[in-house]
Amino acid sequence: MKQGEKTPARSRRRHSDLRFALHLLRQNPIVMAGLVISVATVVLALLSNLLVNGAYWHQQDLSLRLCWNNPAFGWPVTNLFNCGGSVYPLGTDAYGRSLLQMIILAIPIDLQIALEVVASAVVIGVVFGSLAAYMGGLVDEVILRITDIFLAVPWILLAIVLIVVLGRSLTTLTLAIVITWWPWYIRLMRSQVIGEKEKLYVERLRMMGAGWPRILFRHVIPNSIYPILVQSTLDIGSVILTVSALTFIGLTPNPLLPELGNLSNQGIEYFFTAPWLIIFPGLTILIISLGFNLLGDGIRDIFDPRLRR
Amino acid sequence: MVFVLFALSVLIFYLTRGLLPPTTALAPYINPRLTDAGKLSIARAVGVATSSCPSFSDFAALQKGCVTPLWTQYFFWLKNVLVGNWGYTLLPGISGTESTWSVFFGRFPYTAELDIVAAALTFIIAVPLGIISATHNNKAPDHLSRIISLGGYSIPQFWFGAMLLLVFVLYVRIGGLGLLPASGALGTTCALCFSDPGTITTYTGVPLLDSLLSRNIPYFWDSVVAIILPALTLAITSLGLLTRIVRSNMMEVLRQDYITMARSKGLKERTVIYSHALRNAILPAITVAGLLVTYLIGGSVIVEIVFSWPGVGSAALVAADVLDINFLELFVLVAGVIIVVTNLTVDILYAVLDPRIRY
Amino acid sequence: MNQSNTQEGGDDVLSIQGLKLKFHTYAGEVSALDGIRLSIKKGELFGLVGESGCGKSVTALAIAGLLPPNAEITGGGVFLDGKNVLALKPEEMRLARLKDIAMIFQDPMTYLNPVLTIGSQMAEITRAEPKLFIPTLVTYRLKQIEKQLDSTKPDPGLLAERESLSRALGSQSLGRKELNLLTRSYAISILKSVRLPEPDKVFTMYPFELSGGMRQRVMIAMAMMRRPKLLLADEITTALDVTVQAQILRLLKDLRSEINSSVLLITHDLAIVAEVCDRVAVMYAGNIVEVAEVDELFRNPLHPYTKGLLASVPRADLARTPDSIEGSVPDLLSPPSGCRFHPRCPKAFETCPSKKPSMIAVAPNHYVSCFLFGE
Repeated sequence: MKQGEKTPARSRRRHSDLRFALHLLRQNPIVMAGLVISVATVVLALLSNLLVNGAYWHQQDLSLRLCWNNPAFGWPVTNLFNCGGSVYPLGTDAYGRSLLQMIILAIPIDLQIALEVVASAVVIGVVFGSLAAYMGGLVDEVILRITDIFLAVPWILLAIVLIVVLGRSLTTLTLAIVITWWPWYIRLMRSQVIGEKEKLYVERLRMMGAGWPRILFRHVIPNSIYPILVQSTLDIGSVILTVSALTFIGLTPNPLLPELGNLSNQGIEYFFTAPWLIIFPGLTILIISLGFNLLGDGIRDIFDPRLRR
Repeated sequence: MVFVLFALSVLIFYLTRGLLPPTTALAPYINPRLTDAGKLSIARAVGVATSSCPSFSDFAALQKGCVTPLWTQYFFWLKNVLVGNWGYTLLPGISGTESTWSVFFGRFPYTAELDIVAAALTFIIAVPLGIISATHNNKAPDHLSRIISLGGYSIPQFWFGAMLLLVFVLYVRIGGLGLLPASGALGTTCALCFSDPGTITTYTGVPLLDSLLSRNIPYFWDSVVAIILPALTLAITSLGLLTRIVRSNMMEVLRQDYITMARSKGLKERTVIYSHALRNAILPAITVAGLLVTYLIGGSVIVEIVFSWPGVGSAALVAADVLDINFLELFVLVAGVIIVVTNLTVDILYAVLDPRIRY
Repeated sequence: MNQSNTQEGGDDVLSIQGLKLKFHTYAGEVSALDGIRLSIKKGELFGLVGESGCGKSVTALAIAGLLPPNAEITGGGVFLDGKNVLALKPEEMRLARLKDIAMIFQDPMTYLNPVLTIGSQMAEITRAEPKLFIPTLVTYRLKQIEKQLDSTKPDPGLLAERESLSRALGSQSLGRKELNLLTRSYAISILKSVRLPEPDKVFTMYPFELSGGMRQRVMIAMAMMRRPKLLLADEITTALDVTVQAQILRLLKDLRSEINSSVLLITHDLAIVAEVCDRVAVMYAGNIVEVAEVDELFRNPLHPYTKGLLASVPRADLARTPDSIEGSVPDLLSPPSGCRFHPRCPKAFETCPSKKPSMIAVAPNHYVSCFLFGE
């Protein structure tokens, strides 16, 4: 019937989904900003070794410590130490190193820790979450109770205890954060798989005689993993916050390490003589995590079925 | 609920006692001036040394047969926990005869005060922000409030606290003093402070309450002035979650049919938003209270350090440095109890407030 | 947009003139109403019938000013007692909804707030603008007092109450507590008039404690409380069992005579129209295609769509199975040109796709929009 129908139903639906997503994206300049910041961060991390000598952070020049000679602005600090010589755009830290270069070196390190944490948490979350959901029963109960226990403690306390007990190193730092993040991923994956395993194709596979490991790992997991991947990419910002919080309170392996929280740790110690030491690394953390969080918030909105018109 | 606390205690026990040598665990219970024999008898009383162990040095060297198995240690430990015996504090600057318990609970009211004020601030800011966001969806107020809540979520707590210090203590100065105090729970050296607020009697340990009960208004004021910045830091960084939940709940509720019905009855828009929409939207939002409490307690650790606030958070860090395991264990368990109780309260509250569940 | 605020047509409670409405969606613009014309007289029970998606509910929402934000009225006017409702400011529109236009919806479960009692959802009506309701509330209570005084010996309490109420009536003001009490007794009397058993108990119940039919009566009661000039009933029986349906319809008929409201009854069910309505309009794809008195429409349907509709109703007295109309409802994103029914019309000819037919009076009180009956 010629009634004004132009395109067949199926491609019209695909069109409309994409059009809808773009429509929302256009309405949302904030998400675009998040995307730009996140990409810029990654690019900067990749290029950092080109901008700054990788071994720079090992050197110390105590005669230049805590000085500020950038004429662009000043600080309401009495006895501001102005070191002569070349301009340090962001001043120097407690060991006499240029803060700007330290920050540039710190970005890839923080990003790398964040990626390791997120990757480990995803693996653990996917494995245990899907097992809990798919096997159900006792396995589910046990795994769920275990996540409950970990969620009953403020993460930072657990992390402090762990690092105290296991010693300070980058590995224990990563481990401490992973242990406080995986409960969320387990729960997220579990709820995905619970929904997925009810679908018809799982029933059909079972009837065809496929064993549960095959169904789980070859079919169910790949189909339910998408939200977790989205979530993990976006959690990168939050993990950087977490890492820097832990190193800020002093649980760092090496006080010289170029790491944003570590630099801020010096900053709080010398706050009244050199406030830039905490302001700029903190600002960097803010911008990076804001970028990832804005991006994440926007993508979550776009895919949230409840908020669609 | 009890199970979670029990399992938590096992976890904490294993992490601390299981992974560290038993001599570390013993440290809070031993007065260094004791003789070896005295130390050994205490070690036996605490349950880490067996009765057949010949001497304390053997025990310290971890000789076979001297150290009790882990699960025995656990029961002794549990007994001590339930009795409230946490040994003597190892924190520097305090006489070694003070018990961990009294040190912890001496400082705890300060943290509680900070967290409660921060929670109130979070609520006061986040709920209206979420409502405005929902009712002006995708327009300017929505974007602004989303930036605020997301910004709060992305801000490093220590950085925000430092920024507040920078502005209100270093930049805004009146008469040579910063506007607000830089540290501590009682502000005496700031432009807005009373420099000599006098004393108060301690009823609860919480300065705000005690000063009111002692009718010492300058003290109360100085306490308020001191708590503003740290509480604000905690609140701004915690309100993201609550705002987002209120916003999405409100948006979903405003789409409901009974909202159209309410408007069709000719009710004022304000009535529609508050009596109908908010009433339904706020209910699921209280389930996030447990998460908020977790976040606040954890955040106190950082904020207390930035503002030199005399609570258990800043002490936790010192405890970590000197390996005062008991202090950390106590902290974890108390936090656990608070969080579990909060979740339970929320569940009960939800049942009370939602008539559909009651019947 | 028609900017005039008044129009002629004396005793019409509602008059819609050439109303055009479209929705802006992410998929494009949906032309929901294509210039509809409608008028309802005082005290009339007017049926608006058509398939789902033809625009009946949208018409009601447009009258009540409850259109969603992506709706845009592109032409025409809606006149309630002569005043253009579309030109009203939001606050005036709200007052109109409070006092003049009452709307009842299809599914009483979702249209009642689940966490508030029936009583509070009724009481908030008077609380919205107490001044508007003081006369009604006080008059009702005074009548109650008079009845009590007649039957029993004079009670000083009642007499004192009568005094203060008369004063309140004069001064047009009422204390908060008094307002609540009066509202409560008035609301319970309304619940009684919609034939709810134990109305005082219902007042304290929650919506989920009532059955579907009872909830629908509550909705009707909420409308009755306001004594509106126009009652918009949007598929109010669709979600109910047939037996309950019959009760509700009977209730509607009785109430209409009690408070002299006009009713716009929207439904897709011709049987209901036949049962209770005085006049009926048939709607298709955003257009009104035929308007007539009920008996006349059933006896002498003119528009091919109307004929098709009637032929598709199962009838116990005829042996044949019902016919259905070929094709399906058009997509209003890109509606058919000219007469929107022409692709499915068995009698279509060359003029039909070219331009829109206008509404023609074939007989007094019988209008059709079809080229078969003239241009």
